[in-house]
Amino acid sequence: MAELLLDSKIRFWVFLPLMAITFLVGIIKHYLFIFMSNDKIVEKQQLTDSQALLRSRLVRENGKYIPKESFMMRKNYFTNEETGFFVKQKRQNTVKNPMSDPGAMTEMLKGNFLNMIPMVVIGGWINWAYAGFLCTKVPFPLTFRFKPMLQKDVNLVSLDASWVSSASWYIINLFGLRSMYNLVLGENNAADQTKAMQDQMSGAALSMPDDISKAFKAENESLTITHHNWALKGVEQTFN
Amino acid sequence: MPSNVSKKDDFIPLSESAVRYNHFLLDYCQTSFSALSGCTAGILGLTGLYGFLFYFVVSIMTSLFMAIYLGNNTSKYFLSTQTLFTSTIWSGLQTYLLFWTFLYGMVHVY
Repeated sequence: MAELLLDSKIRFWVFLPLMAITFLVGIIKHYLFIFMSNDKIVEKQQLTDSQALLRSRLVRENGKYIPKESFMMRKNYFTNEETGFFVKQKRQNTVKNPMSDPGAMTEMLKGNFLNMIPMVVIGGWINWAYAGFLCTKVPFPLTFRFKPMLQKDVNLVSLDASWVSSASWYIINLFGLRSMYNLVLGENNAADQTKAMQDQMSGAALSMPDDISKAFKAENESLTITHHNWALKGVEQTFN
Repeated sequence: MPSNVSKKDDFIPLSESAVRYNHFLLDYCQTSFSALSGCTAGILGLTGLYGFLFYFVVSIMTSLFMAIYLGNNTSKYFLSTQTLFTSTIWSGLQTYLLFWTFLYGMVHVY
């Protein structure tokens, strides 16, 4: 197959800008997310409840490092049949409909907004402005099956499959720059568009506030069946 | 940040956040190395199998460096020595491919 010759202007006006745009849009998105997200106002009651749950979990997991007496005291505080924290505290069903809570609604809207706008606008703009170029060539041979993936909107049957069109180069960047964001912005960044898509698919983005009385009941049960298993038995010998 | 591992077999006390931080650092090293090696491969103009071979050699070398650096203390920082070699090899490949393609395109295609 004859080697194709690409205009070197494509390199400076299509190939390089696409990568820069994808990267910078991610960074802008990250800072916009920080800028727009305000701290959630938590009620005192909710905070108490969640801290109690957390403490109970810690007792369950790390109870083996404290003396049996201390463990039983903590366990009793939470799960005593008459006076235990989890038994005594009666909460009415606090599951709110997110549609009726304007605060949660705006928060949700904001999150979707920040994820959708770059996806649609930037993706559409790139499709409009940079469509139909052959950008580059992957440095390894590929089979015919990869053609629709790497050569979006370039429908040439006889073209070798390792050429990459501009729209596909954008998508490759979108996925490939993921770990670069981790490098530049730290671990929990908001720049990753693909992660948001995964969240939406698994339904994690729509997770409701927990039903606290149910959580109390479950935690009560699991703490009740936890027994003290002293982990530091004979620890004096290991220090010798 | 060592995640204390005791000599006894029946339980391993470890700090969740320390483990996560160690993995984050491992990921950081591997990503930087795969990005750099991708640039190198692109500028050198490696194609086909040689490029992939180059990546795997570099990746294993990075892990080896780290293993040498940690010496006998590997089990202090990671649950198994294997994670040093295997945990990041595929995510690194993605970065490597991007940079390899990018610089190969910049230097050799036009």
